[in-house]
Amino acid sequence: MNIKDLRTPIIIAIAILWAAITVLGWYGMYMPGLYLGVVLMMLHLVLGVSIKNKVSKKFLIYPIIPWAVIWVVSFYLSDKYSAMFQGMMPTFTILGFHPSFSWTIILYWIGGVLTLTLGFVLLKDEWLSEKDWKEFKGKVKKIEQKEKGGQQS
Amino acid sequence: MSTGVKFAIIGFSFAMLIISLLIGLWAKRKVKSAKEYFGSTGLFGPLSVGLSSTAAVASAFALVGVPGIIYSTGNAMNFWMLSSAAFAMAYIILGKKVRAMSEIGEVASLGDISDLRFNNNKIIKGLMSVIIFLGCIAYLAAQIKAGSELFNNLLGWSPIVTGLIIFGILTVYTAISGEVGGLMTQAFQGFVMVVAGIIIIASFFIITGGFENVLEVVSNAGTVTSGDISKTFSPGFLDAWGILPRSTAMAWVIIPILGTVGQPQVLTRMYALKDPKDMPKLGLYAGLAHMIVGFFALVVAYGALYLVGSGEIAPLAVADNAIFAYADYLGLYAQLFVYAAVLAAAMSSASMFLTLSGNIIARDLPSALGKDFKSEEKQMKVAKITIFAIGMLSILFSLTSAEMVAILGTFGWGTLMSGTFPVFIIGLLWKRANSKGVIAGLGLSLALNVAFLLGMSWPGALPWYVNVITISILATVFVSLFTEEDISDEKVELVLDL
Repeated sequence: MNIKDLRTPIIIAIAILWAAITVLGWYGMYMPGLYLGVVLMMLHLVLGVSIKNKVSKKFLIYPIIPWAVIWVVSFYLSDKYSAMFQGMMPTFTILGFHPSFSWTIILYWIGGVLTLTLGFVLLKDEWLSEKDWKEFKGKVKKIEQKEKGGQQS
Repeated sequence: MSTGVKFAIIGFSFAMLIISLLIGLWAKRKVKSAKEYFGSTGLFGPLSVGLSSTAAVASAFALVGVPGIIYSTGNAMNFWMLSSAAFAMAYIILGKKVRAMSEIGEVASLGDISDLRFNNNKIIKGLMSVIIFLGCIAYLAAQIKAGSELFNNLLGWSPIVTGLIIFGILTVYTAISGEVGGLMTQAFQGFVMVVAGIIIIASFFIITGGFENVLEVVSNAGTVTSGDISKTFSPGFLDAWGILPRSTAMAWVIIPILGTVGQPQVLTRMYALKDPKDMPKLGLYAGLAHMIVGFFALVVAYGALYLVGSGEIAPLAVADNAIFAYADYLGLYAQLFVYAAVLAAAMSSASMFLTLSGNIIARDLPSALGKDFKSEEKQMKVAKITIFAIGMLSILFSLTSAEMVAILGTFGWGTLMSGTFPVFIIGLLWKRANSKGVIAGLGLSLALNVAFLLGMSWPGALPWYVNVITISILATVFVSLFTEEDISDEKVELVLDL
């Protein structure tokens, strides 16, 4: 996926998302803020993973999209079970935790590591391959040689 | 606490201090150039960089302040402590670009990257350096205060004496071996924190019988009183949001996760890595170490809540004592590791922020003012003296100006984000980011950080720095958008394409 023409719109979207999340925070609208927060992080990830403006579809399919879905589901379930057991001891637990907090443990914490951290290791070449790095260093060397040649002549 | 136990804790903690000193002195041999002294550039593998990054990110606040906040207000703070995926996110977003910058020019500090990206713009370098310096000094003072008070509480020693011994030794080895010694000692201190974490996590299950029992106690304990001190529990304490306004919980998801990429202790470690293709491994090691340290803070808070709620110990007069009350209940083995871990957390963050502050004063700010040193030897000599002077002044300042340290304590993570996002995140992800935009973003960031110091307040329940970061990003993006692109270096364009 080529994002050459999308890079500036993505950066503008990042700025607008920061503003929107801040205003939502002022008014106590934490759930929309959290969902937009995931979109904000996802846009940063898409920019970060791109090489020469190309984003690896593989890297999008795993880990980026599953990570985003897992976190959105985590926040939704946390809020759902918080409302369900407001002001009372929950009638069941998950792994011993309050059902609301259990999703923070299972999806936000462990799910976040199993998608982003592990996916980054498994698909490292989609992020930066040996070929990409060598090509980059080669081009830098050529420019430096050209600069030195220019200085000598 | 018996005298024998106190001596055992002192012995264990000072053994860690001495080992750190020896590592720091040994590391001096690896320092052969200014690039190595200031930046450890391209010197280390993913395990040592990963451990040092976790240790530098998890300050004394993570082990002392966080359990205190969870003890007082419930689970919201756990979003911050369980942000272990943030390292991978940071490296995916910026890792290869920051590391690649060190291939196109001399990179030994964050100011060097700013120079390369923004055509040696002195205003950008100066503004960024001042903001980062504010954040670093705030962190440094807080670590010194926490480390010194630890032994003051335990033994009744004068904080000045304790501070001069512990942080004086730290200042000496940091000044001698620079970032190389800093990184290696932080890796060791990170290892101590991980070992302590594993022991305390295991002991939590033995003492409480598991999380379900904690939930039951916290939901049903009501109000527990001992003497003048009461602690009120409620079922909402242990749901995901705790009892703080939920916008605060929202901020404590977004700020640590995205903010990790803007922390100098993470950015500088990106170029300390020898092989950029090891960045995913670095994310894994740092993430795993952080998982243990984060869960360590969680179980300590839960353990303290359980002990108070079940009447095993009296309610805490000071919430920040949760970790020590819990360790004291567990007994000698826990006390040894907990006190050593808190000291390790304070020392690792202190050495990181000491070298960062030293680099800014001895290298980046003079360069921003147009005063570059002629030789590397001279620059390192000045840096050693500067680090020593900053270390000593910080010890005296943090232990004699309690009110100022408390005010500065609100600076830190958010201030550092507001100083790095315009230059690094926007600057390295977007070619259109230009000098005018970044100056606007940094200028507003500095003004609003200072305005907060002078008493400015913001609407809503969000931490104040969220507003500053947002304004700084908006200014950088929109001023850049309506002014001309100014990249003139082909090599920088290659980095931004990577």
